[in-house]
Amino acid sequence: MEAVIYICLGLMLIFGILAVMLRSLLKSAIALAGASAMLAIIMYLLGSVWAGIFELSVCAGLITVVFISAISLSNTDKEDLPRLYEDAKRMAALPAVLIICGVILILIVAKTSFMLPAAVPAVEMADTFREIFWNQRQVDIWGQVIVVLTGALTVVALFKERE
Amino acid sequence: METVILIVGFLLIVAGCYCLIRTYHLLKVIIGVEVAMKAVTMFVILAGFINGKAPLAQAFVITVIVIEVVVAVVAVGLALNLYRLYGNMDIRNLRKLKG
Repeated sequence: MEAVIYICLGLMLIFGILAVMLRSLLKSAIALAGASAMLAIIMYLLGSVWAGIFELSVCAGLITVVFISAISLSNTDKEDLPRLYEDAKRMAALPAVLIICGVILILIVAKTSFMLPAAVPAVEMADTFREIFWNQRQVDIWGQVIVVLTGALTVVALFKERE
Repeated sequence: METVILIVGFLLIVAGCYCLIRTYHLLKVIIGVEVAMKAVTMFVILAGFINGKAPLAQAFVITVIVIEVVVAVVAVGLALNLYRLYGNMDIRNLRKLKG
């Protein structure tokens, strides 16, 4: 199981970096979906099955559709993108920044012998999750309903036709 | 394994924040936020895994995912409105908006 998690972590990191570095927005959106899919697999392997399903369907699916719709609605000429945003030039240092940060983090972990505590065996899942989600965290559900309604109203206001 | 997840998460947050700071394209800004939020979601799941409280972590993560989607949709709506007004999604144009 650990080997699969390591592979997924590596792929997630690569997809995440590609999502912010690629010049083409369409490819960026697809890379973001790839990172979401890898995260969903990691969640599943760490025992969070429902969260993994949500991540895969909502983040890898819905958000990608929203991004691709936005990209197709705003048909900026591909040749104009580098001139308008200068992204390639401005994002060029990211790999170096990540390598430096990675080395610093690995050095900190090695020097301080930092170790997260070992995982405690989880209690049985399905019933407990249902109990927690619907009974103990009921306020969260109402909060989610309010956030979704607020989002819907905001989108309606943003797309209102001007007179 | 847990420490590796932590390091990868930090690197993703760095990548997302770097994108937030350096890019001018509003859709790219949203993608940067999304990348950083993926790492945060992974941290919550990792915390649940370590404490043996995966169900509670899942309940939180589902709330985070709902908020993530709403933020993305509203930001994309804002980006499209910016495009309608100025013909591009350059965040520097946001400074020109007055009321």
